[in-house]
Amino acid sequence: MAAPSNPIRTTAEGYIGYRGREGHYAFLLHRLTGLGTLLFLIIHILDTSTVYFFPSLYEHAIDIYRSTPFMLGEIALVFSVIYHGVNGLRIAAVDLWMEKRWTIKAQQMGVRGTLAISILLWLPAAALMLKSMLEHNFGIVLFGG
Amino acid sequence: MTQKVQKTYESVAWKWMRYSGILLIPLAWIHVLIQDVIVGVHAIDIDYVALRWANIGWQAYDFFLLAFTFAHGMNGLRQVLFDFVHGERARKAWSVALFIFWLLVSIIGTIALVKGARPELA
Repeated sequence: MAAPSNPIRTTAEGYIGYRGREGHYAFLLHRLTGLGTLLFLIIHILDTSTVYFFPSLYEHAIDIYRSTPFMLGEIALVFSVIYHGVNGLRIAAVDLWMEKRWTIKAQQMGVRGTLAISILLWLPAAALMLKSMLEHNFGIVLFGG
Repeated sequence: MTQKVQKTYESVAWKWMRYSGILLIPLAWIHVLIQDVIVGVHAIDIDYVALRWANIGWQAYDFFLLAFTFAHGMNGLRQVLFDFVHGERARKAWSVALFIFWLLVSIIGTIALVKGARPELA
């Protein structure tokens, strides 16, 4: 098969216009959370490496992570890592061990299930991180102490 | 009906994305749970990193984390790019470029991890 004349446009249109419902949304969310986590990971490896290469810079890097926008980003990152893991496990399990479950009906259920599990796992973590952010950045103590 | 897939570089990479992904669930989740949720970014500084890497167990843990997450992520990026890049030569060029980038960042991370934090210079 010949490659389309403008693969970037064709693919982007397919990403947006394809109406595959659950499977399509899971595909997009899997890629989005994966790419987002990778972007953070690259920055994270390099900033952590300053502890050896440029020790005086590490505190500056951590200071940026302590700011409110970055702490909100961190909460989104934790969702990404959880969702990418749960959804990836669904893909791996069906690919490797239960090919018979690769049906539209079963996977529509599977996609809804993975999203529900991800949100349930994420909420307590998000609550604790939000609590920490409010305490440290705004001096608001919600619960505990 | 199951058909035997011919073993190629891409078929092995496909399988390893699944195996490494399963391994990354405990590896990455425990890391995130400890550092982001329990300890928190406000309690992390260079002394904390020095203390953690003084323990060879955590050093080994972080090495596996570095090796598996980053390789998994970069190969994932390669897969995403292959949706947009179809020419054989262009794909090869991207693969080589991503591999060099992966190698460089991995080496930087590994050197820091092995040599450890230097809080006395901070």
